[in-house]
Amino acid sequence: MRVLVQLRPSPDVVAAVADPAVTATAADVVNGLPGVLLDPTFTPVAVPRPLPARAGGDPLSLNQPLIFSMAPRDASVLVRGEIADDEVSTRLALLSGRGGVVGVYADPVIQTSLTCGGDGPVGGWRDVRRLLAVERLHAEGYDGSGVALTVTDTGVNQRHVSATLGADFVLDRERSWSPDGVSGRPGEFDVDHGTMCAFDALLAAPKASVIDIPVLLSRRPGGSALDGLLSDAMAAFAHLRTVLDAQPAESRALVVTNSWGSFSPDWDFPPGHPGNYSDNPAHPFNLIVGSLAAAGADILFAAGNCGRECPDGRCAYPDQPITGANSHPAVLSVAGVDVTGERVGYSSQGPGRLADRKPDLAAYTHFAGSGAFGPGEPDSGTSAACPVAAGVVAAIRSRVPSTVLSPSDLRTLLVRSADDRGVLGYDYDYGYGVVNVPGIVEALHARASETRTAEGRPWLVS
Amino acid sequence: MVLITVRLPRGATLDMALRELRLKKEEVDVGYGVVAIDPDHGLYGLRVSAMAAHRLTATPEAMDGPWADPKIEPMGPSRKDR
Repeated sequence: MRVLVQLRPSPDVVAAVADPAVTATAADVVNGLPGVLLDPTFTPVAVPRPLPARAGGDPLSLNQPLIFSMAPRDASVLVRGEIADDEVSTRLALLSGRGGVVGVYADPVIQTSLTCGGDGPVGGWRDVRRLLAVERLHAEGYDGSGVALTVTDTGVNQRHVSATLGADFVLDRERSWSPDGVSGRPGEFDVDHGTMCAFDALLAAPKASVIDIPVLLSRRPGGSALDGLLSDAMAAFAHLRTVLDAQPAESRALVVTNSWGSFSPDWDFPPGHPGNYSDNPAHPFNLIVGSLAAAGADILFAAGNCGRECPDGRCAYPDQPITGANSHPAVLSVAGVDVTGERVGYSSQGPGRLADRKPDLAAYTHFAGSGAFGPGEPDSGTSAACPVAAGVVAAIRSRVPSTVLSPSDLRTLLVRSADDRGVLGYDYDYGYGVVNVPGIVEALHARASETRTAEGRPWLVS
Repeated sequence: MVLITVRLPRGATLDMALRELRLKKEEVDVGYGVVAIDPDHGLYGLRVSAMAAHRLTATPEAMDGPWADPKIEPMGPSRKDR
């Protein structure tokens, strides 16, 4: 959290700060504040003291006449800094009792506007490929070869994806799966949300084999077209466990991208109820997610589109909109940024309900991509950011199977190498930062140079 | 239909679940079947009628639930929105 700290240093320091001929620094004003990373680039600012013009007046009144004194004995000084998001309350309590500190104030980001739903695309899919350093990834053999990349969504239209991407890809019909009652063949579903997800995942991993799971097309009683039920996703994950178990250990690689979630508590038992989903790690879907991840699958979920600045109209949780499996500690929860690196205003902010530090990281969205929603319409939502990140994971897995680098270790590597945005370190807008492919590749090189598998084979598959 | 979980031997089938839980076929979402949630620990899911779930709660060691089975939706636009 960015903060402004108001200090009352000695009058000679105040005089120096107020003197336009003198350039003071934060270090001239205060010799450090515990838990606050002072911004050395911010020139301290002298703030006048409001004094009532009449005896007995209120110095903080917005209506009464006031005199503003810049006299060194009256004025105070502002410096700028940052406090780690998860330490704010503790640090504020400590600072309030510290000599010289008059007050600590939020220093919110001010800007014209963030990208919101309904805005036109910001950049295109070639920009996303450039930002993901895809050429470098592929030059080093990270292209998704041999990796099963599962899109659990509304089904994939292979022809549309290939035509837009300008390249064919493998649609793994044998390992694709549909909920009971869903008609249609893998790779031949109507162009829609799932087609967008497949396109976006293939940007970084064009050689991956796409497993098509149209879980959102289920018409099981209680659901409707383009809405599934969570039990359908549970059945899909059970199928994926059989896919994973059938893979040879030396090349085990299953990446699952999930750009969906539950928007309303009205469909759930309340938190605290034993059957609740949103906040309950014991719910069977949360159990199967943990079980599949423990068996070696890389699972990614969209953080959601309930960001405070411009939430999706369906968002009904009053707070903490990253719920259930979207906030599971064993998944990578993905926020959205546009190609300028700014968070899109609809990207859900943490903390998550199952795990506090959600989202984990951010990836690109709101760009001209698949054209799944018509000409000029962007690939948008954290729905697009999630498969973009999943494509990066799939690309990595083409040389590093999950038996060598566990999903948990890969998540750690991804967040440690992320390009930090927002405040210093972790924050609830960007997580640990924006996915950073060069950083990941360097980290893999470093690990490979010092590690061999238990059997003595090289750590990276060539 | 509501979602419940049960403990069954590894490799359990729907017939096995019906037998173990003394359920009739018409009380179960047969199309959904028996879903292996954590096969290593014998945890399975199935969808049963509310009446059957209520009856099973009389023997809580037989099942857990009913569990929430919320609607899930795409985290983004779809063609139906346009």
